Amino acid sequence: MKDLVRKLTEINSPSGRESRIREVILEELKNSIDGYEVDKLGNLIVWKNGKSDKKVLLDAHMDEIGVVSSFIDDKGFIRIEAIGGISAYNLIGSRITFPESGIEGVVGIEGETPQDVQKNLKELNFDKIFVDIGARSREEAEKLVPLGTFGVYSAEFVDLGRRIVSKAMDDRIGCAVLIETIKMSNPYYKLYGAFSVQEEMGLVGASVVAFNINPDFAIALDVTAWSDTPKGYKRMSIELGKGPAIKIKDNASISDRDIVERLRNVAEKNGIPYQIEILIFGGTDAAAIQRTSSGIPSGTLSIPCRYVHSPHEMIDIEDAENAVKLLKALVEEER
Amino acid sequence: MYLKELTELFGVSGYEKKVREYIREKIKGRVNLIEEDPLGNLIAMKKGRIDKRLLICAHMDEVGFMVSNIEDDGRLSIISIGGIDPRAIIGKKVIIGEKEIPGIIGFKAIHLQKDEIYEPPKMENIKVDIGVTKKSEAENKVKIGDFVAFSVESKSNERWFSGKALDDRCGCSILMDIIHRDIDLYYDTYFIFSVQEELGLRGAGVSAERIAPDLAIVIETTTSGDNPEFPSDRRSTELGKGPAITFAHSGYVVDERLFRWIIDVARENGIPYQIKRRTVGGTDARRIATTLAGIPSAVISIPARYIHSPMSIINLEDYSNTLKLVSILLTKEARL
Repeated sequence: MKDLVRKLTEINSPSGRESRIREVILEELKNSIDGYEVDKLGNLIVWKNGKSDKKVLLDAHMDEIGVVSSFIDDKGFIRIEAIGGISAYNLIGSRITFPESGIEGVVGIEGETPQDVQKNLKELNFDKIFVDIGARSREEAEKLVPLGTFGVYSAEFVDLGRRIVSKAMDDRIGCAVLIETIKMSNPYYKLYGAFSVQEEMGLVGASVVAFNINPDFAIALDVTAWSDTPKGYKRMSIELGKGPAIKIKDNASISDRDIVERLRNVAEKNGIPYQIEILIFGGTDAAAIQRTSSGIPSGTLSIPCRYVHSPHEMIDIEDAENAVKLLKALVEEER
Repeated sequence: MYLKELTELFGVSGYEKKVREYIREKIKGRVNLIEEDPLGNLIAMKKGRIDKRLLICAHMDEVGFMVSNIEDDGRLSIISIGGIDPRAIIGKKVIIGEKEIPGIIGFKAIHLQKDEIYEPPKMENIKVDIGVTKKSEAENKVKIGDFVAFSVESKSNERWFSGKALDDRCGCSILMDIIHRDIDLYYDTYFIFSVQEELGLRGAGVSAERIAPDLAIVIETTTSGDNPEFPSDRRSTELGKGPAITFAHSGYVVDERLFRWIIDVARENGIPYQIKRRTVGGTDARRIATTLAGIPSAVISIPARYIHSPMSIINLEDYSNTLKLVSILLTKEARL
């Protein structure tokens, strides 16, 4: 499974620019599905027939956070805007890659004195940073990275054994879990897998996917925060390696109680480790799906992930493998 | 161009009636269908060459206020409707309610101020003076819940147009101009004059759901930020540089195919354009795009200085270039 995660996370595809990752996912799945559709917003929807007419939707968003070029000065320095929740603090010291043109850049900070730099670091925002692609003039930079060019963190996949690290675990790990679940299961329900767009912009893709399919129930697969690092988040209990997390609640939705209980029962019955998640912030596609049409019972299965939205998001591969086992058992369970 | 009449109409979010009636009167007989939906959006349709639907949308509402209380001394407490900087409103003329009662947003004269001049005023301390001294007198003229709009006469010369509510009466005017031109429309084109955009994109979505278009274009009036004191690298758009084309804004990355198509059409036709550089703020495109099974949407804007204040300014060449660009786009099949 690690190889699949590596392959998916090494694709550079921020929100609104998902065509590259969509092609890779489709290629990966095309021999394991009964059909697929790319909808009007670019969501990839695949399906596998089951024994029942009932429909289950599993959703993972395929976009990642990024930046977009918004101004180029006379010397060829590029100003950027955020695409999704990317912090200027994480950009300092990072590299940016602009996949449309294959150009790399480093992120710099303004400051005319060391005191200025200190002050800017303290109150950092996008007005105080810029990307340097090594251009020597405005013309050169404009040719390589015209305004409106999307970029992402330039950071490699790292294999630390059970723990693996990438810029785009959020949510390519969800995509990997979904791909493996589709490949490995003989579903009782008709199984729909949605690889949705623009989650990081505000759950754009998932709401129209759910409208299109109108499933009987849905589960979003996404990463969640952690509490197991020095002075990590208080009032939460999520640790890497303790199993996928069954979400009860986050800041955008409360999971359907029946889905929570079914996930828990399936895990208990099959001896699959799991954790219970109450996230005190954040939200997933489940929030958008839940409110679609006349209402769709929805929940989220999370992969615990440290350093979310940084260039180096860390997960435990066993949590992802156990998520696949859990979802496979769930969609195969006769009811 | 209907800018003078449109910008002088009273049309705060939730009270678009006067704007809607004006537009309806001006376009009737020029369209194949005209109707109003339950939320108050005005929908007009002109037939195209093929049996597919394009939605083009501009919002009728403007930012303003609502009377929230009448004080014992007859002055009015107000709350803002939409995003307004309180520093931009003190001492300005307003009109209130159905009868358009005149008033002034009061403030403390500079003579009576000390350090508070350096603090932005707070809405709870701002009162509207309608020239009465008693609550009962005020109650004869206005009531709680009345809408309050800036009272501004527009001005223009051959290059500039200034007035209130350019956001987004400018877009409304563009749509009306297009309806009046005999354009060989490619799609069945639905012109939506939407309500309550400024309160969070409340109107346009239901129109999109009713029409189920194949694609949508939102015509907005957007912030420029090209005030001389503002550094050029932080501006959003600049006046006189043509229609602004959006790649992404709050809550939505514009459909890439439409973004590139619009740029290509502008280039091929030698129409000046600019890329909008900032992503803050949103438009009806976010709401339309996520309607039904998804509607690819794009945004084209006329740059304006000082929007969401009593007085904003546009460049009339930007207006005519926007009109030109949109008119050409509507004759073509979109690249989707």
